[in-house]
Amino acid sequence: MKKYIFIFKSEIMTNFQYILNILTHFIGTFILLFIFLNLWQYIYSDPNKLINGYNMNQMIWYVIVTEVLWTSVGARQLSRKISLDVKSGNIAYNLNKPYNYIGYSLSSHLGSISVRLLIYIILGIIVGYLFLGSFPNLNIINIILVLLSGILAITINILFTISIGLLSFIIEDSSPIYWLYSKLILVLGVIFPIEYFPKVVQPILNYSPIYAMSYGPAKLLIDFTYINFSKIFISQIIYLIIAYSLCMLVYKKGVKNLNVNGG
Amino acid sequence: MLMVVKNQIRITILSIKYALMREMLNKTTFITNIVFMILNNASFLIQWIVLFSLKKNIGGYNIKQVILLWGIASLTYGLSHFFFKKAFDLSETINNGKLDVFLVQPKNVLIQAITTDVEPSAIGDMIYGYIMLFIYGISLKNFLLFTLFGICGSLIITSITIIFSSLSFWFQKSDLIVDTVNRLMVNIATYPDGIFKGLTKILLYTIIPVGIVNYIPVKVLTEFNIYLTLISILVTILLVLLSFLIFNKGLKRYSSSNLMIART
Repeated sequence: MKKYIFIFKSEIMTNFQYILNILTHFIGTFILLFIFLNLWQYIYSDPNKLINGYNMNQMIWYVIVTEVLWTSVGARQLSRKISLDVKSGNIAYNLNKPYNYIGYSLSSHLGSISVRLLIYIILGIIVGYLFLGSFPNLNIINIILVLLSGILAITINILFTISIGLLSFIIEDSSPIYWLYSKLILVLGVIFPIEYFPKVVQPILNYSPIYAMSYGPAKLLIDFTYINFSKIFISQIIYLIIAYSLCMLVYKKGVKNLNVNGG
Repeated sequence: MLMVVKNQIRITILSIKYALMREMLNKTTFITNIVFMILNNASFLIQWIVLFSLKKNIGGYNIKQVILLWGIASLTYGLSHFFFKKAFDLSETINNGKLDVFLVQPKNVLIQAITTDVEPSAIGDMIYGYIMLFIYGISLKNFLLFTLFGICGSLIITSITIIFSSLSFWFQKSDLIVDTVNRLMVNIATYPDGIFKGLTKILLYTIIPVGIVNYIPVKVLTEFNIYLTLISILVTILLVLLSFLIFNKGLKRYSSSNLMIART
């Protein structure tokens, strides 16, 4: 575990050098938030009206949390990097190192996004306050538990993304699989809460990774209850195990067939 | 003069053809890229089905008009990223001194620099655009107008990108401006203009011309208007000319970085 913490720390130190880059990358997230603010202001002609149990402020905060969780991960770059490691044969350099490749990729990526996540959270709060003029009603323990849930959501997302990148062992270019994965998460988890979908679909979404990766932390921020927290936390632990097992499965299968020519 | 233009077109077509042939070397990856891009775009239909279940009219658009808006946005994006993929990396090409390779050839530098590569997944965007037109309601008139607006839109997007990328001749880090403008154009393109107000709406018809690329075509295809069609064509011509003018002005300031690369 110590070595993974060291990898994590080194990545954080490296990323502190690029704060300006991180700030400028937030522009993309800001554009999306701006579009959603306009969209929801149009749909909620009366801000206090409830649509599927949410008022306008709750909907905007929901989108802010899900967007911050989604964009701060930088899943596209991660998937591309892993895929390139596999295709170029670079992954072979990790075989003789005293660490597990999945553990290395996870701790290294968590380290590299920590500074970005922190900045995105601060900017997300500022944007939310500027747009809406109020904060969700939470005490300090609630905030800590929401943050914990957010970190678990991000970890699950990173693990699923690593497993998609590793699919390059089987299909040469795994980016199309990533597009589909990202769009499904975006449409089913980032833009709307699960309650917005037809009643028939809701139970499926409640048992899907979207509940653990996107809906859960956002729901906790706008409507915190300990019952909700325990449900979301259990789901996150289950999906953490599933995502890690999936990574290991694809990795072990792929490494068995690995052929590296020269180097 | 006519001969020069004819030669330039021939070279451009050949350049795109060879770039496409390179991409087609791995057929499975090539086809997967296209098919998954169509599925990727289609996933957003879910978003609009949910939104229209809340309100029958969003920003003055009904669901068929949103489908058409998606069609136009996909076609313009697809055409610009397929034929002029490198225009979207032009800042990087200028900053890293990679223009040298095009300067030594007896053809137009800008056209060569932006047509050396193609984006296979953009074919998926183009196909998706026409699928959306088919769902909206296809007729010969609609097809021709849709294609015309697709070409105009793609030229506008590319020209705007070239204009902002050319700032790299004068300033460092202008790639950030290009990136932001492109993000704005792509993200806003699929949302009805009625949801935006005030200054944003003005920007959408000026600096970030999503209004001309996307909203005017939807208006014209819904109810034909010759003036709006002509405005769209005129703006396209002006922006294309402006992009060449600014790029060529900037090119005079370009200095080589002695980077040895081969033209693809």
